[in-house]
Amino acid sequence: MSSVGKPSAERSPFNNTSFQKKTRSKLISIPGTRPSVQNGQLLVSTGVTSLDYLLGGGLAVGTVLLIEEDRYDSYSRMILKYFLAEGVVCRHELYVAAAQDNPDDILQELPAPILDDVALHKPPEQPRLSCEPQDGLDAMKIAWRYQNLPKVQTALASSSRFGHYYDVSKTMEPEIRQAAKCHRFYLPEHPTQSSPTHSTMLESYSALLKSLQEVISREGFDVAAPMSNSRNILRIGLHSLGSALWGDDLCCHDNPKNGRALTTFLYGLRALLRTSLSVAVITLPSHLIQDRALMGSITRLCDNAIALESFKGSERETNPLYKDYHGLLHVRQVPHLNCLASKLPDHKDLAFKLKRKQFSIERLHLPPDLSDTVSRVSRGELAGATTVASACGSGSSGNKHLDF
Amino acid sequence: MLPELLQGIESGGLLIIQDSASYSGRHLLQSFINAALNREEAVHVLGFEVSEEELKDGLRGSPVQRLHFHNAYTDPLGWTDHPAFTVHHFCLEELARLVKQTSHSKPATLVIDSLSWILRHVSPPDVCKTLQQLRKGGAVRAIIGLLHADMHQRGTVGSVCRLATSVITVAPATKGDEAVAKITKRSKSGKVIQDEEIFRIKDDLTIVIQSKSSQPGAKKADSEEQETDPTANLTFNLRLSDTEREAKEKLALPFVFSKEKKTALLHSGPDPDDDLDV
Repeated sequence: MSSVGKPSAERSPFNNTSFQKKTRSKLISIPGTRPSVQNGQLLVSTGVTSLDYLLGGGLAVGTVLLIEEDRYDSYSRMILKYFLAEGVVCRHELYVAAAQDNPDDILQELPAPILDDVALHKPPEQPRLSCEPQDGLDAMKIAWRYQNLPKVQTALASSSRFGHYYDVSKTMEPEIRQAAKCHRFYLPEHPTQSSPTHSTMLESYSALLKSLQEVISREGFDVAAPMSNSRNILRIGLHSLGSALWGDDLCCHDNPKNGRALTTFLYGLRALLRTSLSVAVITLPSHLIQDRALMGSITRLCDNAIALESFKGSERETNPLYKDYHGLLHVRQVPHLNCLASKLPDHKDLAFKLKRKQFSIERLHLPPDLSDTVSRVSRGELAGATTVASACGSGSSGNKHLDF
Repeated sequence: MLPELLQGIESGGLLIIQDSASYSGRHLLQSFINAALNREEAVHVLGFEVSEEELKDGLRGSPVQRLHFHNAYTDPLGWTDHPAFTVHHFCLEELARLVKQTSHSKPATLVIDSLSWILRHVSPPDVCKTLQQLRKGGAVRAIIGLLHADMHQRGTVGSVCRLATSVITVAPATKGDEAVAKITKRSKSGKVIQDEEIFRIKDDLTIVIQSKSSQPGAKKADSEEQETDPTANLTFNLRLSDTEREAKEKLALPFVFSKEKKTALLHSGPDPDDDLDV
């Protein structure tokens, strides 16, 4: 009884009593993470708050996010930079691998965080309808029954914000960036000899996987490593995996010779991530991959998968319906970790817009037909109109003034 | 945007001219060679598809002293004992050696005619790696390549064009000697600019821009404006005058509570409208 009050330093290793101080929780508290409200997984923010909402609150530690690049790799690169910038702000460690650009160049282009405390404590922005009347809701004279209904929420946001905002017009200060530890892998610096053994994985991918394994074990990100007081998360960013510069002909040929090299790599990567405190974001030029079955197996091997389709260069750029947005976002896969079913997003038609201070992902909705000249073309026609010309459809004619 | 590209490609840039069987991009390539020679730059040409005489014949009137032609036309696959330049010589070390042999004060521009020949015999990942190494290394200042888009699979063309800083796709226009050029330029900051122009190449290899091709959206607006206004010539009045608008504002709406109606509900006294005794 008296031993309960003794300080623990005096206590012998073999306790006299079976009294054990109840520890608060088994969860390790790492800065920049929070447990998920849905399944208790440890989540990190991707840097884009709308994307966090789409993925169910954030990116779970130990999983992979696959981003299928847009045609000119502008927006996928932007999301990768947001992810790395979030790591710098949360004091996580970074690992950047690229074959085309030097990882140092990518790290120098990270957007500057908006560290204004006033902005952080502001309540989450109310989503605005695109055509809100200026005189406000009090002016509802005829449709007064609708006055008290909640407004349609177009922007994806959750009530509690997790993550930071970034200003893309400025780059991150070198002092902030150098405070974070970064590991780099630039493929031209790792000369590969063609090995005589027939391995299913290419030398570039094996070198990358070996380097990742070495960093994880050396820096102590293994879950099996001895529990110390300070644990940290390793954020891995892999740029343009599968492109020709990695030595892979996945994007070049319709029937690639090393069809299974990337999938073997992803399998090994996932095994590595599940046993360590790390998160990976991969960008992939999927618009060059012709084999859809292979693309499907790549998607299955990654836990989260989204695809970006930018309007630049397509005929949708001049379409008045899409004028507020920069592109469409398709959610290809949502993970189901330790559960049977996953929470799919409510709306499948999402569009994104890169503003200076925010990368917003919104539900795409048709604006009301306010002018005489804009013809109200239905979305179904738009989506498939360019390639399929149906005999009875009037999508190609466009004369829609008198549609009843 | 075509004239700006002709004036110079930025250092470390890769320009790809994509053509097809319906319109050859070789004239445009010769215009670029001509413009580079006029700027007193050294130009190295890897000629797989045309012979030296034919190329120099097309470049009549240009200062060809600074043009170095590497003959890959006679024996591109190395079937004889002493080939001049083969597809297997397309790697960083060989090209750097070639360019250094004829060293000038200014770094040279490398013109590849054509990349399609090399892509048929060397695997695309190796070609992409060499192009990227040439861009990043300092051996050449800029690279211009001709690519026949209909000779390769879409993935191959896409992979090579991904490395390029500018891509010009040429296609025939409606008139005889004119062509349409679709230009995509990627700047260092990641911004992508696109343009479409109709051009014509004159005999002295200068380019005349005929016009920018009009957007199809603008054309549609023109035809729509000619439609008659359906709100004209009606037998009823669609507009309100000021007094009419005031009266409309004052009108009590049916389901809204107001003072008069409340009193009417409470005591249904002598209501003048209720005198129907039928």
